[in-house]
Amino acid sequence: MSASSSQALEYLELLPRQTHTKLYEQPSTVLAIFRCMLPHLAKTIVMAMLYMPTPFAASDLDAWFRPDGKREREKALAVLEQLHIVVPQQDAHRRTSYELYPGFARSLRQALEGSGTHRSFGVPSSTPDPKRVTVAFLDEYARNQWENILFYMVGSTVGLANAGALAQDVNEGTKALLRAGDFVKLAHGRVSITRAGFTFVLQETNAQVWSLLIVYLKHAPQLSMSETDVLSFLFMLGSLELGQDYTTSTLSATQLQMLEDLSAFGIVYRSSKDALTFYPTRLAVTLTSDSGALSSSEPLAKSLVSSNRDGSAQGFIIVETNYRLYAYTSSLLQIAVLSLFTKLTTRFPNLVSGKLTKESITRAVKLGISSAQILSYLTSHAHPQMQKTQPFLPPTVMDQIRLWEYEGERVETTNGFLMKEFSSESEYRDVLSYAESLGVLVWKSDAKRLFFVDRVEQISLYLQKKKNRSG
Amino acid sequence: MVKATRGTLVKCDASIKAMLLDIDSKHRNDFIIEELDEEHVLVKETKIAELKQRLQSMMKERLKEPESSESES
Repeated sequence: MSASSSQALEYLELLPRQTHTKLYEQPSTVLAIFRCMLPHLAKTIVMAMLYMPTPFAASDLDAWFRPDGKREREKALAVLEQLHIVVPQQDAHRRTSYELYPGFARSLRQALEGSGTHRSFGVPSSTPDPKRVTVAFLDEYARNQWENILFYMVGSTVGLANAGALAQDVNEGTKALLRAGDFVKLAHGRVSITRAGFTFVLQETNAQVWSLLIVYLKHAPQLSMSETDVLSFLFMLGSLELGQDYTTSTLSATQLQMLEDLSAFGIVYRSSKDALTFYPTRLAVTLTSDSGALSSSEPLAKSLVSSNRDGSAQGFIIVETNYRLYAYTSSLLQIAVLSLFTKLTTRFPNLVSGKLTKESITRAVKLGISSAQILSYLTSHAHPQMQKTQPFLPPTVMDQIRLWEYEGERVETTNGFLMKEFSSESEYRDVLSYAESLGVLVWKSDAKRLFFVDRVEQISLYLQKKKNRSG
Repeated sequence: MVKATRGTLVKCDASIKAMLLDIDSKHRNDFIIEELDEEHVLVKETKIAELKQRLQSMMKERLKEPESSESES
């Protein structure tokens, strides 16, 4: 599971059962969720249970795992239960057994076997398009649209002279969406980037696309679009083929409306607003693939990386121990990002140079950019020459950046829930170890029998079950 | 019965915690839900931004640091 799909998973987990049920009617959705949302262990469990005729006893499932694998098992099952893929049942003897959600199982079997008459994997256009476009054109189009969005976010913050002109290419809907997602905020008529926005810009392209789409999904009901329709369309897009044109005649009204927005993001391409076909771009077809990690997606990784990093995929930033910074780039986007936290002084045709100063870092911190984000940006774009040393950046510079941040921010905050008033030590231990195995535990105090978690849904389910068992 | 209280966990060092408590007591105990230990307090989620801001201004008042000027070298 890549970082990009994990945020999509987080979003999916919070959806109600009815939405899941409706989603699982589409084989393409089910396949996409299975392919890239589930942890590997959860995939194994689903696969094992897919063709089981009867419910699977929990004790039998436990027998598959070594005692030291308890943590992983709990995690995988928690995800599956949260997504309503696996349904736990209790029989008359209070023995728990698991069953795959029937709708999910049916759709996954259809997707694997290619059976059924669903059209959820998109219908290629039957009439040849006279104005057929090439893959290279689609890549170019996707890159332009996407880079414009990024540049709109970063460029106006740092006040580049021509940012306004470029930002005009970003349509109003997209701008509103970026504001709604809290990626940028308007202050005194100027757009400035937020912490969330900076995190967004620093992500790899695939993760960026998902972040933006999740904001889009959250606002779909306001645009009177059905969330399920939107989601299943996105999952369908992920299963389409690059360079193929698909007909719009099988799409619902919601999905037609979406096409327009998606072409503004560069996720699909349409030759005109009322064209009968659409082309998915590379941004679309990689939505649900574990891209980057796969060797078969080599051209993809390259083209997307080079698109955003302006051909400098191997890194272009040199930082010296005296805080001087040299960046071999001519991309305005790169320069704009750098100038968020660097005092840039000189620009040459292929090089900008400047210095990391206390002022420039604290200014970035005030914008909501954390030192960890700055360091990860510098590290991931370090020049090959820098990559010969370990760590890539001079340690003094790294420490100093952290210290500068720490001067401004003296507290660390986490939103979540404090669990308290456990009736016994054993109950406390039990729930605590469950929270630990889910990876939601933030802080605990054994003496006071208190602990703090950043998510509570699974825990309250667990407590509920415990209560039912004992009561 | 186990209870879950919604809030924001604030981790800070002891000196900062003292300041937070000070701010809280000056504002009708409107921020802090519970003190957890030396370095942790639970704060109302809606109030965290305001609390941070008050802390910033209090620190500016109390700790007058000489602004280190930037030396070009």
